[in-house]
Amino acid sequence: MHTIHHKWSLARIITLLLLITGAAIVLVPLLWTVSTSLKSPAEVFQESFIPKVWHWDNYKNAVTAVPFFLFLKNTLLILIPVMIGTVFSSALCGYGFARFKFRGKKFLFLVLLATMMLPGQVTMIPMFIMFKEVGWVDTFLPLIIPAFFGGGAFNIFLIRQFMRGIPKDLDEAAFMDGASRWSIFTRIMLPLSKPPLIAVSIFTFMGVWNDFQGPLIYLNTNTKYTLALGLSMFKGLYNVEWNMLMAATVLIMLPAIIVFFFLQKYFIEGISLSSAMKG
Amino acid sequence: MRNPRSERAGYLFILPWFLGLLIFTLGPMLFSLVLSFSKWDIITGIGSIEFVGLDNFKAIFHDELFYQSLKVTFIFALVSVPLYQVVSILIALLLNMRTRGMKIFRMIYFMPSVIPAVAVSMMWIMIFNPEYGILNRALEWFGIDGPAWLQDPSYALGALIVMGIWGVGNTIIIYLSGLQGVPDELYEAAQLDGAGPIRRFMSVTVPMISPTIFFNLIMGIIGGFQYFTQAFVMTNGGPLNSTLFYNLYLYNKAFVSYEMGYASALSWILFAIIMIFTLIVIRSSSMWVYYNGDDERD
Repeated sequence: MHTIHHKWSLARIITLLLLITGAAIVLVPLLWTVSTSLKSPAEVFQESFIPKVWHWDNYKNAVTAVPFFLFLKNTLLILIPVMIGTVFSSALCGYGFARFKFRGKKFLFLVLLATMMLPGQVTMIPMFIMFKEVGWVDTFLPLIIPAFFGGGAFNIFLIRQFMRGIPKDLDEAAFMDGASRWSIFTRIMLPLSKPPLIAVSIFTFMGVWNDFQGPLIYLNTNTKYTLALGLSMFKGLYNVEWNMLMAATVLIMLPAIIVFFFLQKYFIEGISLSSAMKG
Repeated sequence: MRNPRSERAGYLFILPWFLGLLIFTLGPMLFSLVLSFSKWDIITGIGSIEFVGLDNFKAIFHDELFYQSLKVTFIFALVSVPLYQVVSILIALLLNMRTRGMKIFRMIYFMPSVIPAVAVSMMWIMIFNPEYGILNRALEWFGIDGPAWLQDPSYALGALIVMGIWGVGNTIIIYLSGLQGVPDELYEAAQLDGAGPIRRFMSVTVPMISPTIFFNLIMGIIGGFQYFTQAFVMTNGGPLNSTLFYNLYLYNKAFVSYEMGYASALSWILFAIIMIFTLIVIRSSSMWVYYNGDDERD
């Protein structure tokens, strides 16, 4: 008994040491980024981890060196409608696949799953041409409008899986009582489906906040750039100052980290759900 | 409750997706297929598309940069996909232990995966800097003279693979939830049979999480072949095309030199490659993926 206990605590110590080492590897680059963002230009090249004088003005300079708030506004102008479109239309379609019987449903659902495997590169070029033909290139529309058409196969799948788990008696009883399918959807299914809806919202936020290739292809005028695209432009500026570049980097990381920090439960649940695709 | 009214309602609810499928997936796929057999520089109108049969594909198979980008992508996928799985499983095992404060560790390990790729890239450009980046400074402590990383053709791709390990948080979460689904009784039974920790891992953990491994392998392959942002921001394919990822080459052909037909052909080859790899994983899965008996669903 004694030896087992001893072995267990040794394993525990090793585990803890490994975890701490790993955590350091994760955190040091982040902390170094923050520390660089607060240094003077001369200090950037020195070994010190903690800046001698904390140059908060780097942040002020970073947001004026590039039109940071304009990029933020652009990002939000894309983000908000995309979130509305994605959540709403993936909920609609998820409900459709979860609760109705109609001819060809199995086949259509297979098609839906198959589109998840399709690399975006195949449709990227024709979509660009299509949007160019309708005169939407260099506007936010190509980045917004598709979100209203189903909100993405993966999100539909996620919501459909969850809604199938909601007891059928619930909405069938409401249906017997004469409730319309629309009001069952809005009054029963949506409120009960909060976890996947929040997960979809978080993924959508992360997706838009992260998106680089989309804005890169569709936005040409630099006053229309999003934050991600703007940050890469920052690097291209002649005479890049690392402390300012890192300040800008911190500013674009922060919202993602904050969202993650407060909503990590849903974030983690959503990701775990995503792997429940087997079967 | 299959009745005509219910059928109609079902169709109506999935209508947005169905329209999207036609407008943003099937339509473009068809168009892309036509384009891949044509020559077109997009600057002139759509009327000037010239049908050239298999010319694009013939040219691609004589294109050195095509092979280079294929090589880069293959090396990346073959090294990083298995490597990330092993690292993620090991970390997930550590995070699955029952110790106080585990929540904080989990949070720290997951955090990098939510940071935008552009920000991660900026950060690592600094880390990889040969003179003042922390990576080479840390290596100095061990008496190692670090390479020039992103500026050295023989290290740049490796640098991107190393960087990727930092962001495996997503994969860790998936493995962790897989591990948490393994019933304790199985471990207890194995322990009673005298199985040590490694034996328990190989004969209980691995089979039980094999569906998760399967899922992550497929996602990893698809992700590896679509790698773009980091390569674009950090190296833009260089030095000497050592990080010219397939997707980056495709982007250059389409949106830098505007060879839309050629780029479309490239995209179909990419599609075919991803399909082949995915099929290999799916086909082989019956040999190593273990499912509980209860996965009969409609």
